Amino acid sequence: MTKKKGGIDTAAVAFIAPAFILYTLFIIVPAFSSVYYSFTSWDGISPVVKFVGLANYREIFTSARFGNALRNTVILTVFISIVENALALLLALLVDHVKWFKNFFRSAFYVPVLISGIVSGFIWKIMYNYNFGAINSLLTSIGLGEWKQDWLGNPKLTLLMVGFVLIWKGAGYYMIIYLASLQSVPTDVVEAAAIDGASPWQRFKTITVPLISGAFTINFTLSLINGLKVFDQISVMTDGGPGFTTETVVYLLYKVGFNEGRQGFGTAVGIVLLFIIIILNAVQQKFLKSREVQL
Amino acid sequence: MTANVTMRRKKFRWGPILVLLLTMFLALIFLAPVFFALISAFKSNGEILKNPMALPSSFYLKNFQDLFEQSDFVTAIKHSLILTVVSELLIVAIVPMAAFAIERRTSRGMKLIYTYFLAGMMIPFHLYMFPLFKQMRLFGIYGTLGGPIICYLSGSVAFGSLLYCSFLKGIPLEIEEAAQIDGCSPFQIFWQVTFPLLGPCTASMVVLNGLNIWNDFLMPYLVLPSGKAKTITVEVFSFVGQYTARWDIVFAGTVCSIVPALVIFVLLQKYFVKGITAGAAKG
Repeated sequence: MTKKKGGIDTAAVAFIAPAFILYTLFIIVPAFSSVYYSFTSWDGISPVVKFVGLANYREIFTSARFGNALRNTVILTVFISIVENALALLLALLVDHVKWFKNFFRSAFYVPVLISGIVSGFIWKIMYNYNFGAINSLLTSIGLGEWKQDWLGNPKLTLLMVGFVLIWKGAGYYMIIYLASLQSVPTDVVEAAAIDGASPWQRFKTITVPLISGAFTINFTLSLINGLKVFDQISVMTDGGPGFTTETVVYLLYKVGFNEGRQGFGTAVGIVLLFIIIILNAVQQKFLKSREVQL
Repeated sequence: MTANVTMRRKKFRWGPILVLLLTMFLALIFLAPVFFALISAFKSNGEILKNPMALPSSFYLKNFQDLFEQSDFVTAIKHSLILTVVSELLIVAIVPMAAFAIERRTSRGMKLIYTYFLAGMMIPFHLYMFPLFKQMRLFGIYGTLGGPIICYLSGSVAFGSLLYCSFLKGIPLEIEEAAQIDGCSPFQIFWQVTFPLLGPCTASMVVLNGLNIWNDFLMPYLVLPSGKAKTITVEVFSFVGQYTARWDIVFAGTVCSIVPALVIFVLLQKYFVKGITAGAAKG
């Protein structure tokens, strides 16, 4: 497909038109109408849309429920991003160094990624069960019976318990990215450092980490965005409870929009969420990008 | 992780063994819940409650029988399959062509469109879902399988064009130029010359995107008509509330959700890895 001089490039237009039209109609137009609806008291059904100015935003920033949801979201997201990345890097290092069954282990760590959010939430809900769950029976059988808990019923623990499920489900994905990055680190540099007497830890810290910093940036960005968007596991495991202890911003958005028929308010929450994503992303990019090293 | 330098002289090294043991231990933790779900589907409720991690005592299929008798699970499977397969076919028909136009034209307009597409990756679904449903009603696709399909299609434009553009860079222009000299139209050049060379990219796109559609919950849950079976994922979700005392049935449902994904993964593993790393390299 080489370019003709002058005139409209009909072939190119025809090639791109279907994607362009669909993307515009079903993503961009709704996204922009969200901005409009966030200034209304729209209930999602009635054709009458009443303009309420900044009332939704005022409510967001003054309501205790949103404050609570925001706190839960931040705790969950920070917890997931840090633990998930540390674990994914460990898994990648192990798979990279293990001498036997490399491919098997790589697949094994990836398997939870294949499972849907709903199904993974259900499996763990059963495993967390007080009377019949695998976690408590395991604790009993190794003599730690006094640690038995109602894992999802204890308001202090629930959010972290949901977080563990997300980490278990997501780590394999980030492992693949770390692994590809580790495999691109030139071995001669590492070997040269070893000959110069650098310990494994020194080699890891001063050679490997700077060279895989691009993967850190990508993985932290992805895990952050995914953490902010968690929905499926919460809906099947806790429904935001006990009380409001696992109600996140996205879950609040869903509940007010569908259960309480306040879609205008819901979209306003969505707009705030987008700004949170953009701001966190910018801060993180600035922090991580400045540490990236290219060979 | 290599063993200490002081260990070098000895023939036997502990390092690799320790690495193997640690990896095995972690793999066990990662696989145990999946294993638990798979075996529970073949156990009666009593057996699950008695010892969650024990193997089924016999080849017990009553859960599946109950699942198909007590719910319209066949429809749910059918819907999941239609949504995944039809969406992927349409995505492959539309997205690579768009990426081809972007990548093979250097005009400023195309650059702008590319940036416009990539912006879509930042917008969370939850932000625009309420107006989206309104938009779907306007087009008469709300409450039909066409609704989610159109949305999956639109939603794949961003990541899809990123993936295809990065693969297209590696395909030499000479082949296309030769085809043009031979009198092929742009349409023929793309579908008969370039597209076959994009096979690995298409495979990566289809497996990663298809998995997301297969596992999706919120869209079919909210868009498909209520009162009837929707998709496997949605059915599993409603079972959790409905059969609080019959975990065995729910597990039979989860197996129907997990096994197809697992089989595709085992067969097409390398395309999962390729797609994730190619997406991350530019993302």
